[in-house]
Amino acid sequence: MLKHFKRDINQWSLYTVTISLFIAIPLLAIIIYLFDGPGEMWEHISKHFLWDYISNSAILLLGTGILSTFFGVSAAWIVSNYEFRFRKWIQWLLFLPLAIPSYIVAYAYVGLLGNGGTFIRVINSLGISIQKIEMMNHFGLIWVLSCSLFPYVYASTRAVFLSFPKSIKESTQLLGASNRRYFFSVALPLASPAIIGGLFLVFMEVLNDYGAAKYYGINTFTTGIFRTWTALEDLQSAIYLSALLVVMVFAINAFVAWRRRKKSYELKIDQSQQNASTRKALKGKKGWLYGFILSIPILFGFILPVVQLVYWAILTFSEMFNAELFWIALQSIGVALSGAFFIVITSIALIYFTKWNHLKSLRFFKKMVTIGYVLPGAIIGIGIIRSSQSIIDFFSDAFGLKIGFLFYGSSFILVYAYIFRFLAVAFNPMEANSLKIGKNLGEASQLLGINKLKTLLKVELPLLRNVIISAFVLVFIDILKELPLTLILKPYNLNTLAVTAYAYADDERVAEAALPALVLIFIIVVLMLLLSYAEKTFLKAASKTK
Amino acid sequence: MSHILDIKNLSKSYDGKTFALSNCTFSLDTGKICAVVGESGSGKSTLIRLIAGLERPNGGSITIKETIMSDDHIVTAPQKRHVGLVFQDYALFPHLTVAQNIAFGIKENKNETIAKMLKLIKMETYENAYPSALSGGQEQRVALARTLALNPELLLLDEPFSNLDAALKSDLRQEIKHIVNQVGTSMIFITHDLYDAIDIADEIIFLKDGNIQLHCPVETLSKSTENETVKSLIDELKHSAEHLLDLLKH
Repeated sequence: MLKHFKRDINQWSLYTVTISLFIAIPLLAIIIYLFDGPGEMWEHISKHFLWDYISNSAILLLGTGILSTFFGVSAAWIVSNYEFRFRKWIQWLLFLPLAIPSYIVAYAYVGLLGNGGTFIRVINSLGISIQKIEMMNHFGLIWVLSCSLFPYVYASTRAVFLSFPKSIKESTQLLGASNRRYFFSVALPLASPAIIGGLFLVFMEVLNDYGAAKYYGINTFTTGIFRTWTALEDLQSAIYLSALLVVMVFAINAFVAWRRRKKSYELKIDQSQQNASTRKALKGKKGWLYGFILSIPILFGFILPVVQLVYWAILTFSEMFNAELFWIALQSIGVALSGAFFIVITSIALIYFTKWNHLKSLRFFKKMVTIGYVLPGAIIGIGIIRSSQSIIDFFSDAFGLKIGFLFYGSSFILVYAYIFRFLAVAFNPMEANSLKIGKNLGEASQLLGINKLKTLLKVELPLLRNVIISAFVLVFIDILKELPLTLILKPYNLNTLAVTAYAYADDERVAEAALPALVLIFIIVVLMLLLSYAEKTFLKAASKTK
Repeated sequence: MSHILDIKNLSKSYDGKTFALSNCTFSLDTGKICAVVGESGSGKSTLIRLIAGLERPNGGSITIKETIMSDDHIVTAPQKRHVGLVFQDYALFPHLTVAQNIAFGIKENKNETIAKMLKLIKMETYENAYPSALSGGQEQRVALARTLALNPELLLLDEPFSNLDAALKSDLRQEIKHIVNQVGTSMIFITHDLYDAIDIADEIIFLKDGNIQLHCPVETLSKSTENETVKSLIDELKHSAEHLLDLLKH
């Protein structure tokens, strides 16, 4: 390897390493500053809080994992195996809970089921005497997180159920197996890598959650990191907590990778032989029943929270609907647009720089920079704060330059944090598509005398247009919803819809949080609709081209 | 000799306009091997899917061993027809071992039947192997064993030789014939290659555009060369052979 190092290294290798190291600073900072030893509050934290953080996070992971799997797998099974009324609509509506950040669902549930809540009043008016349904406990939080996160499991499982070759189901039928046996002995084991994959995303979101856990008063790792840094003012101990959380994330990641490898099977998938034509038609009562079963997660994950938010928004409309709201919405969109733009550009640069460099060992850097997606925002935030402070101190000590305003007075550091956090969302699908295009086109163009950069602009990027657009929209949605990272790193003069909704709710003014939350949900739903429409159009165009 | 299969005026249309299979009538004697030959889109797969009960016919009847399986009034479920189908892609469950795949449909004497089947397909040492570790020919033999383990009255094979290379194909044809004769079942298999059909079938059905062009025993095929479909298939074979000889000469 070393023998060819001198021969194979080129400018692209250097660019790849530089960009990767620059992006990975937050993670490297956590590792480096770990050697400084724990902060002065560490003993107090480890004695009084640490067990709480570990056990609560574990309970939430377990509970949300079980409930999300139940919702996601059953919904995926029904929509991919049965034909019933409104199936096409319902299978799309099941994605909608992803449009509401889980902390907003958490606020809405308290308004629905708390003392004098909307749902409680409806029940009371029916003559049933009930004061409230307690949500601010572990089960309440598990329910809220499951209702808003199950679509991750639903999406991955549905995709795999739909890709089953027709012959797999038919052969079980010919071998005399019942539908139940087909589900438990064949479909479920074959779908398990996809289920685990979806579940992994649920786990990461649970660990990343700050708003819902904080509001429900449950101490998790993420709320603990915030508390240590802000209330206890011990950044070094916050880094220690972050490091523990990183270990937990990597342990889950390793477990998931191991399970997926162990349970991964290659299905011979013939597009013409897929499941679609074998959906069993459900008519009459059974059709309605299945439609009803599927509407439960949509009802609890989207409709009820939105109804509650609309109710609050009406109550506070005159107070909240003003120019400031528009300004906040514009700032949210602005930050998300610039974040998405830089993430897509960075992804393209990294994909092609790595492709053009000849050192195989640099592939490791790709993994390093895309790791941000599995790290909770609080860790990245703490990593950036700590490393920024060192850079500011260095410039101040060495050159007498005060550069703090660059970090804390502008959105630069926030956008940088988004790049590390969400790079994988754009990088992975774009890289997969660029690999699909293959080397031949690029090589043909180069042999015709066009240089690498021009080839990229004229040949490869136009072919990647569709995936670039959808990656851009997905990153944009993720940034709009992001809370913990934005909360830690936003400059004082910047407000986003997510932060505004959180701030009102944290201030016990939940009704006032409704309008910014609804604007946020509206933007996300519109984008999801556009994305879905665009993907259909792309698919149609692609099939016409074929 | 009694008929294992009686098909009368069988028709199937997927879109209600064009017929994938139109008014097909034929019978198959017990213990015989029948090849259904035709180009793609000729209705071969539709025919065996109808016999297996995986599709519902628009008209006509299917009788297996003197029991009506489907007509205008009844449609018997696939698992109750005593018919086995080996799919073109074999449809082996990738998460189950060879033995578990064979055992999947067996209700009684599992271990005994598995051992018998493994011996029959000469794969005793592969009991614990997963499908991903098998070659195409081995996968096909396992799929065959899984189907035969349920003692089907009629065995259906969808393009059994299409995914195999030439050398393997020839061996496997004889092996399948041997296994089927040993078990004493009847068999219908689909192919687009006349060579496959002549090599192991007792009788051949030629399908074109959903219609049966010819149904005859293999021995009398030479007398049917005037038939357009047969003629074109034989011409195709001749052309390939001549082309090969030309290549060898040069």
